[in-house]
Amino acid sequence: MHTMTSTMTKRIRSKIARGSGELAILSLLAEQPLYGFEIAKQISERTGGALQFTLASLYPLLYEMEKRGWVEGRWQANHAGRDRRYYSLTVAGRKQLAPLRQEWRSFFHALDNLAGVSHA
Amino acid sequence: MPELGNLDWEKLVREHVESPPRTCGQDVIAELAAHLEEVYEEARARGSNDVDAMQRTLQEVENWDVLATKIARAKSEEDSVNHRTKSLWLPGMATLLGASALLALIQFAGFQPRVVWFGGHAMLFYWHWLVALPVFGALGAYLSQRARGSICARLAAGLSPVLVMLITMCLILPWAVAVDGFSSLLIASFGVGLTNWVALPALALLIGALPFLHENRVAETRRSAS
Repeated sequence: MHTMTSTMTKRIRSKIARGSGELAILSLLAEQPLYGFEIAKQISERTGGALQFTLASLYPLLYEMEKRGWVEGRWQANHAGRDRRYYSLTVAGRKQLAPLRQEWRSFFHALDNLAGVSHA
Repeated sequence: MPELGNLDWEKLVREHVESPPRTCGQDVIAELAAHLEEVYEEARARGSNDVDAMQRTLQEVENWDVLATKIARAKSEEDSVNHRTKSLWLPGMATLLGASALLALIQFAGFQPRVVWFGGHAMLFYWHWLVALPVFGALGAYLSQRARGSICARLAAGLSPVLVMLITMCLILPWAVAVDGFSSLLIASFGVGLTNWVALPALALLIGALPFLHENRVAETRRSAS
């Protein structure tokens, strides 16, 4: 029973992380094209370390988003003259951003009504 | 102790993620390697020694097998065929269409070819076309390079018009032999055609493609470092 609950908790956490990751990445890329390392770094810095992406969590998500046509990766040299794969938002990705934001807003609102998390 | 900064990151990633049956593309390996290299360098810049920086870097991936599986799943529809299309077929098609359109335009505009007699055979030099061909060779190789095509793919994309011509001529030759019979005249005509429509255009296209046939900077930097 305990194992089953633990697996379910992990699954929910993983889904939350995945959903928040998509929103975080789309929001960042809406500002400017970035490469993977920069995406992870900026997410960490701008959330005060609350959201952390490692290589293992970032790239499968990026590739998935690329497959869906939300982001587009393109190799180019960065300011240090190194080849990096820069991701930019596609038109389809930009269209996803507003509904995703709304979805999360509703989620937090619902959770707040239920558990008063904003006052916790 | 070896200097870890000179580590071949691509080799490290490849060894972990490219075990069969999963096959991560070169693009993925290069990208993951570049990420690891930046994590390592950032750790070093923050004052960590080689070993600590390396430990910090390897923490990025808890389980390589899981990562490789996730990437393979995420990439399942965007497979190597897609990469080949972007790095070979599309650039090759662009070069072929561009070069063919220019030749048609030159002929339509009434520019006459220069006729050179070679052992009783007339060779037609569309020199306006030949002079412009390096641009198309460069275009094909550049587009392929931008799509992370291999050096072979860049070369093939840049030389696509002559490759198509060569294949066409090789297909026509047996047919001509079958119809007209084998003769020295036929072979000589084939040789002239080969020079005229394959060798010379290939040279012109190659001149344009050459600047894009070097390895990418990351690989070069890494090689020189090691």
